[in-house]
Amino acid sequence: MGFLKVEGLTKVYDNGVVALDNVSFTVERGEFLGVIGLSGSGKSTLLRCVNRLVEPSSGRVILDGIDVTALDVPSLRAERRRIGMVFQHFNLVKRKSVLVNVLTGSLARQGTIASVLGSFSAEDRAKAMQCLEIVGLADRARVRASELSGGQQQRVAIARSLMQGPDLLLADEPVASLDPATSHSVMDHLERANKELGQTILCNLHFLSLVRRYTTRVIALKGGELAFEGRPEEIDEDWFKRIYGEQAREVGIE
Amino acid sequence: MKESETETTKPAAGASDRPTTAVTFAARIERAARGARVRAVLLDFLLVWYAVGGGLFWARWTFNGPAPPWERPESIGSSGHLVLAAVALVLALLWSRSRLSPGRMITWSTHPLLKADAPRPEGGWWRTVHGILVLAILAETVALGWKITEIDLVSLFSSEGLAGAGRIFGALFRPEFGILPLVLEKMIETIYIALVATVVAVPIAFLLSFFGAKNLMSGNRRSLAVYGAVRFSTNLMRSIEPVLWAIIFTVWVSFGPFAGMLALLVHSVASLVKLYSEQVESIDAGPVEAIEATGANRVQMVWYAVVPQIVLPYLGFTIYRWDINVRMATIIGLVGGGGVGELLMQYLGLAKYGEVGMIVVVITAVVWALDYASAKVREAIA
Repeated sequence: MGFLKVEGLTKVYDNGVVALDNVSFTVERGEFLGVIGLSGSGKSTLLRCVNRLVEPSSGRVILDGIDVTALDVPSLRAERRRIGMVFQHFNLVKRKSVLVNVLTGSLARQGTIASVLGSFSAEDRAKAMQCLEIVGLADRARVRASELSGGQQQRVAIARSLMQGPDLLLADEPVASLDPATSHSVMDHLERANKELGQTILCNLHFLSLVRRYTTRVIALKGGELAFEGRPEEIDEDWFKRIYGEQAREVGIE
Repeated sequence: MKESETETTKPAAGASDRPTTAVTFAARIERAARGARVRAVLLDFLLVWYAVGGGLFWARWTFNGPAPPWERPESIGSSGHLVLAAVALVLALLWSRSRLSPGRMITWSTHPLLKADAPRPEGGWWRTVHGILVLAILAETVALGWKITEIDLVSLFSSEGLAGAGRIFGALFRPEFGILPLVLEKMIETIYIALVATVVAVPIAFLLSFFGAKNLMSGNRRSLAVYGAVRFSTNLMRSIEPVLWAIIFTVWVSFGPFAGMLALLVHSVASLVKLYSEQVESIDAGPVEAIEATGANRVQMVWYAVVPQIVLPYLGFTIYRWDINVRMATIIGLVGGGGVGELLMQYLGLAKYGEVGMIVVVITAVVWALDYASAKVREAIA
């Protein structure tokens, strides 16, 4: 079956760089899939091809039976409502309040004029506050996003994605610019979205310790190609060297 | 020699060993090189044309002397120019055969796909014959500059010249305070011309700026065409000096402040679109990605991801623009665009330098005050 099917996905950038080379894999509903590989191995491109922030060169992405790669622009927008995304650099609108940032998760449901005027319904505002409560930042709702720490900003980004209420969540190095303690708090929130809300998660990660702790399955990219697919505990010394190169040594995050 | 064999050996073809990708990439390099060769010939042609033509004119001036201002200057005529261009074209075609010609060096080293392939001669390009030729052309420019601007240190420091300068400076430093009320009234007119032009220009430029930002418009061919049209037309409008616009509008709506305001308006829209668009192009793309990923539409994306990032810089640019417009409004007055400049022109025509001095004092004071205020405001909102 497969909730998300990626088939022969290839991305060649305009400068000739082959970021993804014929990548195929399947994700079942409710999985927490880790994506690992060196920087530049195509992890970010892979995630961005799923919601077509990056247009794939060839291949297909099928989400719940719908071929995302074949959609025209309006249908793509409608489909993106089901696909949340969290970024390494949080990508909040820094000059807007935390609450407005969370509310942007609902933009696809709002009318254009209403959203430009900033008039969100009382229900939406209440829901946004609930999402902030989940990530423990309800008391910071009125503060400008730029005033929060990195970990708090990432939690606002997660609240934004909760507001959107997706079936599939793409997390692109969500903890790569955070310290170890905050990393775990952010990863815990992703885990709750996965377990309690049933969101299927694709998460790019650098640290194998986080992969082992949080993911249910893992794929590895090397030079744009799929190099490994299996359970996290199957990545032994041998596989590690194959994915990251002979010189690599594992560092942990506790 | 089979084509596919040579092309798969190219290291630039990327990590993939799949021949299809490699071949298409090599084909793209080939196509890029064809276009670059044409541009290189064009660049070399311009350079040679300038060098040969400049040499010709320099020789004419040196041996015949410059034409006196009251005589119609001689030209080499259209046939002369055609011969010159033809000679330059032949020389440029010959020069461009070398991979080290300046045109080829420039096109190759600036093209993203050909950069890796650009030649790097040992000891630096400037040490080659080609580099030395270009240095010679630069030296020619210095010699031409001296000739063309008719630099004449004798008349600058002659006693008659200095006496004239003394008369005008003396009068300027004894301003005629009797006309101060009139000057102030006209100065207010000038400030309003600048203000109205700025206020009307801002919303127009604000809307156009999103269509003139490449990062927002590179989605498809149609939007790219709109981007090109906006950038091209505003660049054209901007390259026409405000004084020229003022002359156009004095013919259109006759002399006075309205013509001056329209001239500033056109120029302000064009300049602000450029500044605004460049600001849009330099925003952090992260929020754009994030808002797009939620399924928001284009208008929502611009409003939530772009506008918050540009509001403050826009304000700064706008205040700065008003500041520039006040200065330009005085200049525009000189050609009949109303305000204090018009007054200045009248007294200048009557050689009443005391009155001119008064006007200059007021303009200087206002411009200085505005400059100071706009710097303070921009500092405060940054």
